[in-house]
Amino acid sequence: MSASAIAGIGLTRRFGGFTALDGVDIAVSQGEIRGLIGPNGAGKSTLIDVLSGRAPDRVGRVLLNGEDISGLSPQDRRRRGMARSFQRTNIFPELTVEQQLRVASWAVPGADIAEVMNELHLTAMADMPAAEISYGDQRRLDLALALVGRPTVLLLDEPAAGLTMEESLSLAHILRDLANRWKVTVLLVEHDMQVVFSICDRITVLHLGRSLSEGTCAEIRADPTVIAAYLGTEV
Amino acid sequence: MSTTAQGTATTARSRPTAAVMLVGAAVAALAAGATLPWLLPTKIAMSLLAQAIFDALLATSVGFLILQNGRVSFGQAAFFGLGGYSIGVLVARNWVAPELAIIIALVLPTMVAFLLGLVIARITGVAHAMLTLAVGQAFYEVVFRWRELAKGDDGMSFELPRELFGLPASRLQDPVVMMVLAWSILVLVLLALALFARSRIGQIAAAIRDNEERARFLGYSTMLPRALVYAIAAFIAAIAGVLSACYNGYIAPQMFHWSASGFALIMAIIGGAKFVIGPAVGAILLFYIKDYAGQFAEYWPAIVGVILVVVTLTMPRGVVGLVATVWTKRV
Amino acid sequence: MFIQVLNGIVYGGLLYLLAVGLVLIFGLREVVNFAHGSLFMVGAYLGFTIASMGYWWGGLLVSVVGMGMVGCTLDALIFRTLRKQDHMITVLVTFGLLLILETAVTAIWGKAYLTYPVPRLLDGTIGIADTPFPIYRLFVIGVSVAVAVSLSVWLRYTRTGLYIRAASTDARVTAMQGINVDRLSLIVVGLGTALAGVSGVVAGPLLSLSPTMGNYILIDSFIVVVIGGLGSFAGAFVAALLIGQIHNFGAVYLPWASTVLPFLLMVAILIWRPTGFAGSRT
Repeated sequence: MSASAIAGIGLTRRFGGFTALDGVDIAVSQGEIRGLIGPNGAGKSTLIDVLSGRAPDRVGRVLLNGEDISGLSPQDRRRRGMARSFQRTNIFPELTVEQQLRVASWAVPGADIAEVMNELHLTAMADMPAAEISYGDQRRLDLALALVGRPTVLLLDEPAAGLTMEESLSLAHILRDLANRWKVTVLLVEHDMQVVFSICDRITVLHLGRSLSEGTCAEIRADPTVIAAYLGTEV
Repeated sequence: MSTTAQGTATTARSRPTAAVMLVGAAVAALAAGATLPWLLPTKIAMSLLAQAIFDALLATSVGFLILQNGRVSFGQAAFFGLGGYSIGVLVARNWVAPELAIIIALVLPTMVAFLLGLVIARITGVAHAMLTLAVGQAFYEVVFRWRELAKGDDGMSFELPRELFGLPASRLQDPVVMMVLAWSILVLVLLALALFARSRIGQIAAAIRDNEERARFLGYSTMLPRALVYAIAAFIAAIAGVLSACYNGYIAPQMFHWSASGFALIMAIIGGAKFVIGPAVGAILLFYIKDYAGQFAEYWPAIVGVILVVVTLTMPRGVVGLVATVWTKRV
Repeated sequence: MFIQVLNGIVYGGLLYLLAVGLVLIFGLREVVNFAHGSLFMVGAYLGFTIASMGYWWGGLLVSVVGMGMVGCTLDALIFRTLRKQDHMITVLVTFGLLLILETAVTAIWGKAYLTYPVPRLLDGTIGIADTPFPIYRLFVIGVSVAVAVSLSVWLRYTRTGLYIRAASTDARVTAMQGINVDRLSLIVVGLGTALAGVSGVVAGPLLSLSPTMGNYILIDSFIVVVIGGLGSFAGAFVAALLIGQIHNFGAVYLPWASTVLPFLLMVAILIWRPTGFAGSRT
């Protein structure tokens, strides 16, 4: 059996007295789109931070295609094909849309920005400084920056945050399409269940910093522990 | 020639055209510089303009750091001083050939700044301002007391060598020559910075300035580009220091003082640090205002202070920014 | 030797009074007040004007009240207006203020060095370690200690003191608790500048008055604030004593090291721990 595209073993992270992640194990296979859900404060964003190298003070190991990258910086992880987007939009406010995508492409040999710009409908505002485009456009830009250069592993932290229902589903389908075409492995944190169920192959559920359950969409929907954790939220 | 860090046009086709326009503007400016000796009435006026250009170079150094690194330095005068003292001490002692002395005087501050930049790359805001102030003052204090080096706080005069690159070096102290030379150097420096801002490394540096974290997640090491910007800024300050030392034939610890850095910073802010030519415009503008201030000259620091306060409160993008805004509104 | 140490403490005391003001202002407004040395200088000149009429203690009072009011004005007009912008802009404005104040004082009082009289009450010397030591200098030490103690008590045991400590740690959260940070800043900045006034008057008889007298001590007080660790009044106290000693001993024994070392220390600390100034708060 080939190594998972991205795997975390015993990941733990503490902020002072608060334990955000408590010995979480996760493994995502090549080409899979994995949803990461859980109530607020479950540790989803923290898990993404740890996997992507944003949290230097963590315990546990992170493996990328079988290689231990636990000690690597974010830039080294990107060079090995792991990219991420951010829940709180993390773009370059003074650069134009096209300019920052270009900068992103220079970091990856042979990368092209035209396809990403087209797919994410950013061509119309190519020459506008990122600070001046709408919130929805900024979210798509945040995602586009992660997509430039066709990463092999994509960690997405609530890409649809703040978007309308329509925008979210549209984005989800673009993602599914690109992921399948480019053969990208995706780990997607998302609150919007419609998005999750529409594009994910499997789902991992986090609760209070621990992995609660994992399985296909149907399995998770029917899992009583998951339903209990959400306490009445529509799942 | 007012180019922001993000450049003007961005499509692949128009980029070379914009670069050509920049070079064209530079050539025109150089030509204008050649006519300066006939435009200024007296040698004193030319001498003052030359000194203003030294200020403009130092201001550009400070402004460039703000523009490409988003960092405010209260210590750029340290590199001005290092450049001036290197050439002064080396020439006075005749330790190396004068041409080599110039190279050392330019390379030494650049290297120091590069190494310093690697160390302080992650320090921002007020901490950065205080740190650079401390570095500058450390140099000042050392030079102030080091009597064997260059007579400490008395400062030291030195004679220029007979020849420099085959030409009589004494010409450097002729106001006409220095004015045109300094102007030409300023134009070339500004052109180089504008081209840098549009280059790949310049845009990467701008991205790092805008959002260092995201730049890392895109795959970039952020320390080297930042250190490079520090090095380039120091290089410009060193040029100003070398020119000033050679022109005046005199070096003094005051060249390193934080107040010199502070004034350069003021000029950069008043002109508009977000624009490549902003600081130079600010320096020359202040020079002329001071000239016309005439009888009010003794109140000059207060006038500068008031202008600074007014500009920071009402025109945050500086004079050049104001002109640019008015221009784009008309078009 | 002991006398040397005492002299070092005297200078340290002056530095402490200034450093406290800087820490107070930075704690509330996140601004390094470049004009603080000039306020010290203006306080000295204000006090001098009254003192030269024969009212030394009146001079001290006028300086404290006057500089306090200047501080309140500064906070209300400038710090409050610019608080939403990048703090470097406010720092630059205080730098502009430095230039304005220095020129204004030169215009009014002239550039010549002026001598600040010692009050009759404190004139004379007292024998310490078989050497006559000026009573006035003991007074300076006394003032600094009194301020340190009162400040410590005020911060720890009063409601306002608690608010100040809270706001210095996190202004946003404190504001969310319903505490009027702007009104607090008014008091705190005014207090900080009033202390600069005290330092100026008290320093007057020790140094000669000149419009540039604030520049050197400003840099030294920056060093104290950084080395003491920002937001720490106790740290400022210790650092002020340290720098005072280095300044004094160094002048005699190791002139080089004594002037360069503090700056190198400052650089080292800022590299090691810049978060006092930037990072999480900026």
